[in-house]
Amino acid sequence: MINDTILSIMDSRQKRQRRFIIVTSVLALISLALCCSMLMLGNTIYPVADVFRVLMGEEVKGASFAVGTIRLPRMLAGVFAGFAFGAGGYIFQTMLRNPLANPNVIGITAGSSAAAVFCIIVLQAGTTVISIASVIGGLATVLVIYGLSKGSSFSIGRLILIGIGIQAMLTAVINYLLLIGQENDLPAAMRWLSGSLNGAKMETLLPLVVIVLIFTPILLFFGKRLEMLELGEQAATSLGVDTNKTRLILIVSSVLMIALATATTGPIAFVAFLSGPIAKRLVGVGYSNILPAGLVGISLVLASDLIGQFAFVARYPVGVITGILGAPYLIYLLIRINRKGDL
Amino acid sequence: MKPTHTFQAESITAGYDKKTILHDISIAIPSNKISIIIGANGCGKSTLLKTMARLIKPTSGQISLDGKPIHKIPPKHLARVLGLLPQSPIVPEGITVADLVGRGRFPHHTFMKGWSKKDYEAVAEAMDIMNITEFADRNIDELSGGQRQRVWIAMALAQQTDILFLDEPTTYLDITYQVEILDMLTDLNRKYGTTIVMVLHDINLSARYADHIFALNKGKLVAEGTPSEVITSSLIKDIFNLNCKVIEDPVSDSPSVVPIGRHHNKSISISENPVIV
Amino acid sequence: MDGLFHPEVLTHEANVVRQRIVRTIFCLMCGAALGVSGALMQSVTRNPIADPSILGVNTGASLFVVCGIAFFNISSANEYIWLAIAGAILTSIFVFGIGSMGSGGATPLKLVLAGAATSAILSSLVVAVMIPRSNVMDQFRFWQVGSVGSGNWDSIATFVPFLIIGLLIAVFTGPGLNALALGDEVAKGLGVRTGTIRLVAALGAVLLCGAATALAGPIGFIGLLATHVIRLLIGPDLRYIIPMSALTGAIILTVSDVLGRLLGSPGELEVGIVTAFVGAPILILITMKAKMRAL
Repeated sequence: MINDTILSIMDSRQKRQRRFIIVTSVLALISLALCCSMLMLGNTIYPVADVFRVLMGEEVKGASFAVGTIRLPRMLAGVFAGFAFGAGGYIFQTMLRNPLANPNVIGITAGSSAAAVFCIIVLQAGTTVISIASVIGGLATVLVIYGLSKGSSFSIGRLILIGIGIQAMLTAVINYLLLIGQENDLPAAMRWLSGSLNGAKMETLLPLVVIVLIFTPILLFFGKRLEMLELGEQAATSLGVDTNKTRLILIVSSVLMIALATATTGPIAFVAFLSGPIAKRLVGVGYSNILPAGLVGISLVLASDLIGQFAFVARYPVGVITGILGAPYLIYLLIRINRKGDL
Repeated sequence: MKPTHTFQAESITAGYDKKTILHDISIAIPSNKISIIIGANGCGKSTLLKTMARLIKPTSGQISLDGKPIHKIPPKHLARVLGLLPQSPIVPEGITVADLVGRGRFPHHTFMKGWSKKDYEAVAEAMDIMNITEFADRNIDELSGGQRQRVWIAMALAQQTDILFLDEPTTYLDITYQVEILDMLTDLNRKYGTTIVMVLHDINLSARYADHIFALNKGKLVAEGTPSEVITSSLIKDIFNLNCKVIEDPVSDSPSVVPIGRHHNKSISISENPVIV
Repeated sequence: MDGLFHPEVLTHEANVVRQRIVRTIFCLMCGAALGVSGALMQSVTRNPIADPSILGVNTGASLFVVCGIAFFNISSANEYIWLAIAGAILTSIFVFGIGSMGSGGATPLKLVLAGAATSAILSSLVVAVMIPRSNVMDQFRFWQVGSVGSGNWDSIATFVPFLIIGLLIAVFTGPGLNALALGDEVAKGLGVRTGTIRLVAALGAVLLCGAATALAGPIGFIGLLATHVIRLLIGPDLRYIIPMSALTGAIILTVSDVLGRLLGSPGELEVGIVTAFVGAPILILITMKAKMRAL
């Protein structure tokens, strides 16, 4: 009897493990395919062989500039920002136990944006300063929101409301800065309203790449603890999770990633919000979905950028496309959450 | 049989924010027994349980397991000896029964090691004890309150701790399920010698199922001992401000509390109860 | 004074004064409209943080205005106003619809989330419409921060009928809304037709904020600020709160505008930015004080 149970538990567990591996690999393949398309497509379409030779450092007439200087940084910006938004968003959603509580809604990306825009327009600062400022902006926003919502008793509802209030203020700041920044041309300004991969350069990408590469393993290591946190503060503690330390590490690393991504591409709408639920749907519950969520983020950003570049007569920045793609899902999610009465 | 542990709280004071709820409580949990903490609402029984299970940090005093202060034991190590089922844990959306029970194995895992045979055995056994094997692949959302509570207890069992704390495990359940769960916990104690400490609302069920009772009043320990030593009409009057008569439970030999209100009293006056006219 | 009473005087000073007078009148009217609109929304939803900007109604109005500019070459205030009102009505129906689903009805948290989410969606659409049309983007960029500087006699004339209708609705629904504050069942017991009152009051709220938004751009938080200041001063009776919130709204907006011009000189700090800065902390304060059960 017991043995049957053991076998059946083993069986369903292995099934899900297989599903996890298959889904993750498929997502990785899709991301890879999108990366290749990003490099191949453009005003001139270069064959895979040319692209490959450029990547290997060979000089190919025409292709070297288009692929190496323009398309490659654009693609890399999409990959790393997509991963940062996807994974970071998933962590926030899981930790706050509310799919709507993501960095876009509670003002964290607005904090990073505001700091970055300030540095660009008022201080005319360079990449390093912008990166540092956007990280500080993001972290400061988190601290303020957390501090204000702690009050007599911490509650997630309060945190969300306060975050929305802070968001409103920061958006006003960004709007004002964009207004006084007359000398900046409008398309560049639009990046800070909706996110765009336009004009990504190798040297501006570096901070984001470094941070994502450093913090991803840390996040993956703490993924198991995140699963336990899902059961609530008390259950997690009694399972041996140091909840305060875990939360701190998870928040700091995901905010770092999100802030740098925001500084590089602007707040790409809804990626942080969509990736987690999509990954969860694909993989199923019971696993830490940080990696799949990051991969979904990459796919979303790259696919949306391709659509924005080539599907219409006008070129749209990636944030507009993700915004429009994300909208129906957001509405669906709101309706479902309200029906279930989880709020 | 589970090994014997000494688990002690020495003069702990604790509370939330600035409000002190527990005043200078010292208790020693009897090993391999079922202990039940009773008291009126707001007397601090849940707070005491949470403080002992390191969910609340005491402002003064010390809690020790086998002579070692619990905050000096690494969290995962402690979680292999001491488990707690909180009053209202959160169900992650869409999780299956076997999955949730499996999360109880977290403290036994190390970074590199995946699931071993021992983990599967522990989960299967826990589900067997709580009689939820048939639900293994079901979604928790589909279960009734009583079944759900059994799943949570199974998760705590899969943790395979020697000591198990439960915060009101029978609240909101029908009387049938209350008895069922208490019976299962008693099985667990008899079969494995697991030390069980819980907070219960119902005095009569506490008196029947406890080996040892701690009675709390306004954040202080007022009595402890076997049910028949502790449950007296004067204690009930003290902690619940209720007149009552304590009789022998017709089913078991434990004491049973029969409350006395202002109405429906037989004309014969009962000595313990000065009827106010 | 010359500027006001002698239209033939054309000195620079006279023109500046004329402009300022128009601006002030326009500002007072917008403030009054937004203040009353907030008070109505709060009592219809029995919800202390309802405000056109928080509930996404402003963004809905924005989207319609942008579409009007982009697709139908609309540029006069007369036409803006109808588009903005249509946008405001559709958005508010949508937000309240989503926010009141499920158990417990429209709790503040649900409403605010529905509003924030809807706002996010609508702003992406706004950007999508604008991107290929840089002339629209330029026109809209200034409209979007909310400014009363663009007011002129024409827009005031367009505004007046809406303001009057809205205020009349507010005054007449006041007693009914008062009863509604005690809960639907009690209100019905008192003989109030709850459905009708709600609908009419909501319509008034949307008319007012849609018209103000069309003419001045999305200015946030006035309704929230005005109602809460008044509540502190005179208590919860809606028959007084509504007229008084018109007054307070007008004062707050005008003060914010002056403040914005002083702080931003030699240019100006658009009033929408000032009100967001004053209003958002108030929202946070209300949230911190509220018992979480009520959210």
